[in-house]
This record gives sequence, structure tokens and C-alpha cells, in this order.
Amino acid sequence: MVDSANSTNDLSSEMEVDAFRRLFPLRFHERHLLESVRPDARPLGKARDTSLALGAVGSADGSALAKIGCTTMLAAIKMEVMTPANETPDEGCIAIEFHMPAICSPIVRPGRPAEAAPVVSKQLSDTILSSGMIDLKELSLVSGKAAWMAYLDIYCLDADGALFDAALLAAAAAFSHLQIPVVSLNDEGRIVVVSKGEKLKNKPVNEEKRKLKLRSIPFALTCIIHKNYILADPTAEEESIMETLITIVLDSSCQLVSLYKPGGPALAYESIIQDCIALSRQRLRELQTILNEAMCDMEVD
Amino acid sequence: MAAKAGATPATYSPSPTTNKKTRPPLFTDVDWVRPDGRDFHQCRPAFLRTGAVNAASGSAYAEFGNTKVIVSIFGPRESKKAMMYSDIGRLNCNVSYTTFATPVRGQASENKDISSQLHKSLEGAIMLDTFPKTTVDVFALVLESGGCDLPVVISCASLALADAGIMMYDLVAAVSVSCLGKNLVIDPVTEEENYQGGSLMITCLPSRNEVTQLTITGEWSASKIHEAMELCLDACSKLGKIMRSCLKESASTSQE
Repeated sequence: MVDSANSTNDLSSEMEVDAFRRLFPLRFHERHLLESVRPDARPLGKARDTSLALGAVGSADGSALAKIGCTTMLAAIKMEVMTPANETPDEGCIAIEFHMPAICSPIVRPGRPAEAAPVVSKQLSDTILSSGMIDLKELSLVSGKAAWMAYLDIYCLDADGALFDAALLAAAAAFSHLQIPVVSLNDEGRIVVVSKGEKLKNKPVNEEKRKLKLRSIPFALTCIIHKNYILADPTAEEESIMETLITIVLDSSCQLVSLYKPGGPALAYESIIQDCIALSRQRLRELQTILNEAMCDMEVD
Repeated sequence: MAAKAGATPATYSPSPTTNKKTRPPLFTDVDWVRPDGRDFHQCRPAFLRTGAVNAASGSAYAEFGNTKVIVSIFGPRESKKAMMYSDIGRLNCNVSYTTFATPVRGQASENKDISSQLHKSLEGAIMLDTFPKTTVDVFALVLESGGCDLPVVISCASLALADAGIMMYDLVAAVSVSCLGKNLVIDPVTEEENYQGGSLMITCLPSRNEVTQLTITGEWSASKIHEAMELCLDACSKLGKIMRSCLKESASTSQE
């Protein structure tokens, strides 16, 4: 081991950078970490440039496109009507699904779903439903008869690390953009959309409830723990080389919603977790500003 | 915790399109206006960009009105283990739809058929002998379906192949025409496609003036076919120019 380590050390001065990066990826990254910088010129604790565009999908009731570095997520919500369950006659439902189509990464092939997809899917629905962001009672239309089922589908268009963070951002933004259609109950007991200027015998059932009140929006930050270093918002390359990830979700008032550390060779000590949470707090402010700006842009248009 | 995906109750879309399907009478009249106000022989404005997906070897995004498509190219890479030895490269095409691509959730049409048509229209344009033993994957995702999905996917895929540096004889441009009553309308939207009497699609190599695929469905008279083909070929050569300028633009920005 010592021998090979020494020989690679020597090689690093002789070899081309790209060749060294491919042959000794861990060594390549560790040499960067020693200088407190990452291959893409970021400091260790800094997330990539993030952008958000609301209303990207015309055929959906609410949608958003989120980009963190190269990682791109498209989230869209379609509202459908269902009969609420007997136990909860005044509540609607949210069905969340995360998709990784074959276009997003060389690892995914059609017909063979990516391993990461169901994991992120579960994490997203746990986070969104337990954070209390949405009051399911607001999705009720006619008590015991009809309620909204919000289908939230998130597509990963480009996978370059920190998938969960980007997906959660896109999901939260899609819910802030959501415009619930005005509907009324027709004679057959079905809910139908009221088109503009149409005169109806039956009054619309949800004229005042066009927007959901989002109580506290959760935001996530994923960090890599490698030795004593903490790398915020990793790229796919970094994730594949240094395998210990920790994801922290905070809500708008900086309360911890979830902390997720799925194994990995490095152990998370208390001080490291504290540092990660501190980074998440900073990131939370950044993301809140980005979301608010995106919503302001939307209102201006 | 009522919101569990496993226990999803049956739902329906409240939009009126699902409840009643009445054929609008206007299509049968002699003079009617297209839903988006275009002339019969006018295409939708096209927006094309290469390099949409960083993780792919090449990619492109295309937007024709409400039809929005992303195509990623992977490879040339190792063929599947089960594949026999091949002197020439293989092309693997797959088209999928998002669940929100159609007005009603998850109603996207059968896409096996579209995938194979994409394969057929591209294969003639690619120099398969430049990547023996390996496979090039062409994956398309229709983000929103607004009519003419297949032609848009094909044009977008050829742009993505060029972006990935796969050798081709020429770009592939695809345009379709619908026959509605007595009229021929180019680049139809979904609504027009739903009521069309017939459709004709040409995929061609505009600068070589060669056709890789021609599909005709429905009822056509010989003179109508001739007229429609002229229309399509003319539109293809224009689309080819737009695609070419898109590639030139991205090449010049990457040089800077």
C-alpha cells in the first residue's frame, strides 16, 4: 500500500492532469482538499449556482424547473379529483413520484430503473408530507364526497449530484406556483372545471381556494463527509469517489425536518453534524431568496 | 397519513375534454382558422439548442410551439453482452413521455412504435461503420406533447447526434402534414391531429435531397400526396437551415 501511494505521488508531477484524475480519482480530489478548493474551483462549503423558473410546463397546474449546477429537475403538479377515504373525509392527497429517465445519466438505461430513483422518491414524500408544508385539509372540495389528489411528478433531466436537494427545491417551487382550477359540482355529482365566462347553475365550490398556503417550506443540503472535510452540494463525480453522504433538511424557521445519513465508510461525529447544520442554515437563506425572486418574477409577468 | 402512493384511490381529471368529445364543425368548412391562428402552410416557430444535458455525450432541446423534447446521446459505448459481434455500429433508440406530457395525466400513446420509427429515420443518415462493435444510444424524453411529436423528436435527435460528434452524411429534418377536409395543414397541433383525415411525414437529408423515411396514413389522392410532399420537402430544407445555424452558433460560442 505504502509503495503504491508513494509511486502515485511521484507520478502526479509527471502525468497530465486529466490522466491523473481518471487513474487516481481519490488522490486527485484529496490534493485539492489539501488546498481547500474543489476541482470546479469552489470552496468546500459552497453550493453551486442555483436557478429556478416557475411555470415551465404549460399542461400542468403548477410546475417549476430547478437547476443546481448541472443537476436539472423538472417538477409538475396535476390536480385530479378523488373520493376521500372514510377516515379522513376532509382531506385531499398528494402522490409524489421521482423519475430518472434514460436521458439524465449514462448509468440509467430504459426499462431498467435507476437504483437511486425509488430512494429519492421515498425521501421526497416523507419530507414533504411530514414537514407540514401543506395542510391536506386545504385540498378538500366537498366534505366526504370529493377532494383533490395532487399528482407531483419530478423528472431528473440531468443528473450531476445532490439529486434530492434539487428535487425538493423543484417540488417546493411547483407547489408555490400551483394554481388550482376553479371547479363546480355538476348534476351527476362529478367535479368539472369551470371555464371562463361560462354560466353555471351550480356555484363553483372553490372560488377562494385557488392557492395553497405553504406553511413552512423545507430546503435540503447534501454534504460529503471525507476524513475531516465537509463538501457541500457534491457533484456526481465527487459522490462516486467519496461515498459518505449526509442530507439535512431544514424548514423556513431553521427547524430540523430530517437528517439522513445512509451508511458510508466515514462516521459522523457530533461536531461534523453541527458543522453540516450550520452550512444548511446558510444554504437555507440562499434558497429562500432564490424562491422568493422566482415568485416575484412570476407576478411581474 | 392518508397520502400514501400505494393506496392511491381512483381519480379523474376535472377538465371537460375527458367528458365529451364533440368534433368541432369548423374543420369541415372550407375556410376556418387554425387553433393557433397560423396559415395552413406555416410552421410553428422552432427553438433549438444543443448541449441541454451535461451528463450525456451530446444532447439537444427542441421546442415547436407546445411540443417540447429533450434528446440525449450516450456512446459510442460497449454493446450489451448478449449482442453478437458486428462490423458496423449499432443504434439504440428509445422515446418516452413524461406523465404530464398530455392534457390528462399518463395518457401518452404507445411509444415502442415511435422508438422504432425514430430508429428507422436516423439509421440511414449515420455512418455506422465509423464505430464498429459499439452502440450509440439515442434517448428522447417528450416533456410536453403538443402535436407532431415524432418529427420534432427526429429533428432534435439528429441535432443531438451532431452535438455528440457522431459522423453523419447530413442532418435529418422531419416535417409532417395533416389532411383536414379539403385542406393540407403543415406541422399540425394535437387538436388538428385528432381530427385529421390523413397524415404524411417525411424525414429527409436536406442538403443531399434524400428521403430516409416517408409515412402516409389515411385516405389520400395522388395529387394530394404530391402537393403534401412538395410542402414537406420545402419545410424540411428550411428546418435544415435552422438546425445548421443552431449548430454553428453553439460551435462558435464554445470556441470563444
